[in-house]
Amino acid sequence: MNTCRQRILSAVAVLALLWSGCAKRQTPASQEVVVYTSEDQVFSEPILKDFERDTGIKVKTVFDTEESKSTGVMNRLIAEQNNPQADVFWANEPIRAEVLRQKGIAAAYRSPQAEGIPDVHKDPDGYWTGFSARARVLVVNKRVQEKPTTIFAYADPPQKGKSVIANPLFGTTTVQMAALFTVWGENRAKAFMEAMKTNKVGISTSNGESTDFVAAGQYDFSLVDSDDAVSRMRQGKPIEMVYPDQGQDDAGCLIVPNTAVLIKGARHPENARKLIDYLLSKETERKLAFADCAQIPLHSGVETPAEIKPIEAIKVMKLDYSAVAAKMQEIQPYLKEWVGF
Amino acid sequence: MVKYVTLVLVVVLLIVAGLLPVLAMLAQSIIADGRLSLDAYATVLRSRNQWALLWHSIALSSLTTVMATAIGMPLGVLLGKTDLPFRRAFLVLFTIPLLIPPYIMAVAWFHVLGRGKLVARLCGDAVAAVTSDLLFGLPGCVLVLSSVFMPVVMLLTMAFLKTVNPRLEEAGRNMTGWWGVLKGITVPLILPGVLLSALLTFLLTLGEFGVPHYLRFNVYPAETFSQFSAFYDFRAATAGAMPLAAITLAALVVERTCLRRRTYEIQLASQAGEILSVPLGRFRGLCLLLVTMLCLLVVILPLLILLAAASSLGAYWQALTQAGDSLVRSLLYAGTAASILTIVGFFAGYLIHYQALPFWLTIDSLTIFLFALPSTVIGVGLILLWNRPATNFIYATPIVIMCGLLAQYCAITSRITASTLTEIPASMDEAAQMVGAGWVRRVACITAPLAKKGLLAGWVVAFIFCLRDMGISMMVYPPGLDTLPVRTFTLMANGPTDLIAALCMIMVLGALTPLGILALVFKGSRFRA
Amino acid sequence: MKSITFESISKQYNKRPVVRDFSLDVGEGERLVIFGPSGCGKTTILRLAAGLVMPDRGRIFIGERLVAAEGRNIVSPEGRQVGMVFQDLALWPHLTVRGNVEFGLKVQGVSSSQRRQRIADMLRLVQMDSRMDAKPAQLSGGEQQRVALARALVLQPQVLLMDEPLSSLDYELSVALRQEILRLHHEIGFTLLYVTHDREEAAQIGNRVVVLRHGMVVKR
Repeated sequence: MNTCRQRILSAVAVLALLWSGCAKRQTPASQEVVVYTSEDQVFSEPILKDFERDTGIKVKTVFDTEESKSTGVMNRLIAEQNNPQADVFWANEPIRAEVLRQKGIAAAYRSPQAEGIPDVHKDPDGYWTGFSARARVLVVNKRVQEKPTTIFAYADPPQKGKSVIANPLFGTTTVQMAALFTVWGENRAKAFMEAMKTNKVGISTSNGESTDFVAAGQYDFSLVDSDDAVSRMRQGKPIEMVYPDQGQDDAGCLIVPNTAVLIKGARHPENARKLIDYLLSKETERKLAFADCAQIPLHSGVETPAEIKPIEAIKVMKLDYSAVAAKMQEIQPYLKEWVGF
Repeated sequence: MVKYVTLVLVVVLLIVAGLLPVLAMLAQSIIADGRLSLDAYATVLRSRNQWALLWHSIALSSLTTVMATAIGMPLGVLLGKTDLPFRRAFLVLFTIPLLIPPYIMAVAWFHVLGRGKLVARLCGDAVAAVTSDLLFGLPGCVLVLSSVFMPVVMLLTMAFLKTVNPRLEEAGRNMTGWWGVLKGITVPLILPGVLLSALLTFLLTLGEFGVPHYLRFNVYPAETFSQFSAFYDFRAATAGAMPLAAITLAALVVERTCLRRRTYEIQLASQAGEILSVPLGRFRGLCLLLVTMLCLLVVILPLLILLAAASSLGAYWQALTQAGDSLVRSLLYAGTAASILTIVGFFAGYLIHYQALPFWLTIDSLTIFLFALPSTVIGVGLILLWNRPATNFIYATPIVIMCGLLAQYCAITSRITASTLTEIPASMDEAAQMVGAGWVRRVACITAPLAKKGLLAGWVVAFIFCLRDMGISMMVYPPGLDTLPVRTFTLMANGPTDLIAALCMIMVLGALTPLGILALVFKGSRFRA
Repeated sequence: MKSITFESISKQYNKRPVVRDFSLDVGEGERLVIFGPSGCGKTTILRLAAGLVMPDRGRIFIGERLVAAEGRNIVSPEGRQVGMVFQDLALWPHLTVRGNVEFGLKVQGVSSSQRRQRIADMLRLVQMDSRMDAKPAQLSGGEQQRVALARALVLQPQVLLMDEPLSSLDYELSVALRQEILRLHHEIGFTLLYVTHDREEAAQIGNRVVVLRHGMVVKR
């Protein structure tokens, strides 16, 4: 046999061996659950592995990237709706969960573990349930003398060119903007956004990137998620975290809980419910509080590290999430124009 | 008969893997509430902002293509045809940026040129302010994307240099020096390859969103991206992708016009792959200095930033334990997809080169069109087409990833094959016909072996693209079976910097294997002064 | 041995007529040379006989068999059992001398022991038996020419087509190989259709010469 043919056959044999090695033994359907999650993999994966260990149910996961790096799991869920592959959607905020409910992709499930979670963080019909929240906080470089305490700092002329915000078309920043439009009304919210533009706000691709820019001194401050801030603080970066708008007459800071959603038509509904119960448990909230994401438990009486303010100690922006979801879809064209796309 | 059946089967495969998913998206884009509606397209065409973004994209693609070609082609000649020292080392080094996700290269450049970063420490804040301002905008995008895509031009230039019959150059040397020969004979002969690499670079840049987004330069792919990510509007996203398709077709027309009158009956160089080496003489030191400086600037510097971030063995160990399985899958998927792409690309290229079917031009245009389409459009199309209970054996398995990679990258292997086939004199096939060999035997025993080096180069380039792919993989990978680029990006969200850097370095090391193969391919060339 | 008959053959490329109303009978065992300047259509006539191009008008017979008619090949090149030596020789560079000569025998399904015998005999006949394992690039021009001849003749064709096979060789070598061709023709026996632009070569090789100009016969 000529050498070339030998080499090609050897290569094919190697590939075949690798495929046979990689081919996973089929797990019986009763022993697996498929979860799509937009919670950062570094935080969600340990919880899912613990579930696997504690229950023996194999978890197959589709993780998401940061919101602006790919079109990710939401599009998969929507595209797959006629033949769903996922059983559970673990969202890192409630608005996309609400979008799924509105598109008829979610199924109702009231978990017994949801008891104790305030009603404001749950869908009234049981289509999604919130847990382990992040706060939208200001991350400020330590060298800044006068630290901003309100998001209005974005529109403050002395702060011109010193601030950055993640692209408001994607992720929790969209939720933030939609919340402002809901609470303030359209005119005031648009005026604020135009003032931000006049103040030459920088636009980054993600909250993490904004935090990195502030830590590097490229900008003085940014409005980000608390887990982005805490993870950099634990890495020793020179930043501080400020809960904005905590004054008596202020609106309060936006709280963004994770949410667990049962997918309509899930192939493994029993295991899906078990997973949701696990996610909503106090123990999971405790783990997420002590992880680098430092998420705030919504159950009361959950042990938390010292640096996390309990939910009761934070002035929270009062919101109706379904109204925010509707507003989010309404303002997208404006946000697109604002960004310049 | 066998010939036509085989070629038609290849066309059917391309249609099923590539065109049908896109048609599914197109169908969805023109149907609203059960009626035919072109609203989505009208909205795109009416939007003044979209035209401005389109202009940005064309400007970025054009500048990147010019810069990548202006650097990549001479570099390819220097590394492929002269006696420059350390050629093989430079070949490996200059290819590395192609293996790293462009977004990460942009971040690396930020750590070099951004405020408070390396330049600030070396040259002061004032200089860093200037470099930072230049980085965040069109110049920065051109810098990053040129460094990422320049290897495409370099590699294809080197591959095509091997096709030049040394006798033609020797004939030129009778009359003029090497500069005249290169200018008047060599470069015109490799023009098809250079134009192909320029076309690929243009299209790759046209579809790039991550780097311009990071560097705050708004480009047209943002339209499709935002329609998917922000609006979840598949109709508008598909409509938004069509202007990119139109530009692609225009670029194809330009390419064909440039090549139309050039029919190269390039005689096969001696089977030992002899290449005439250009002695650099007194310019050797200067060329080495320039190439070294270029390498330091576009490769070593950003790579050092990554290495500095991943300087501990612990980071690599963590990367291997957290992503070792996805690395194996990436290599496996990329190896398999590259092999499928090489085989399908061979027959598609054969069809195009020999114009073996009446609609050969349509097939060529189709592969280029699919290459230029945003991967999300193909990905969602694959979901819409294959996510059904009856076809779960495709959708719920890595087969769907193979379909996506075949659709997206077939243009590379088919074009490389078509260009390789121009090197093979028709008499080779005719001589085999005259001794009674049928088409299958001629292809297997004559054409494919003679095209071996081109096929291998095509395999390597396809492997690199499949290995670094994120767009298709992200959309359709079966749960639990992600690839390394996907894992890198999902871990990037709040993942430790050293872990991400280590993952990138592992991806580079994992991809260096085919570069070793490429080096062996060129090692086969006997250089003669 | 078979005859070749061209009946009123015409062929054009890009609307430029290359062969016009060409008719010719080549008898069994005849050595017919088509002589003419470059571009007169002689290679096209050879390629028409081989089946590598199709006539626009007219018919071609090999022996009694109609092999081509207007716009179509009735018999494919691989089915005509015609040997051909190309102008550029077209030796396959990735195969050795043995491999080049053996290829056609394998296609015909000849057994390995018979192949070995026939290859050895043929290469001895062309005096290339000591270079069986060499690759074409390692051979001189004359040696390559002989291997090309051997490759065509090992299949025992009834008809051999030769397209200016000696044009790139020096005078002495060319003369020597002309003798070789004549010797092989005498020993093996085949109908030869030979194309050249060299007057002396035409006179030496052919027992009949046809002069072609602008695709038409001007002298027989």
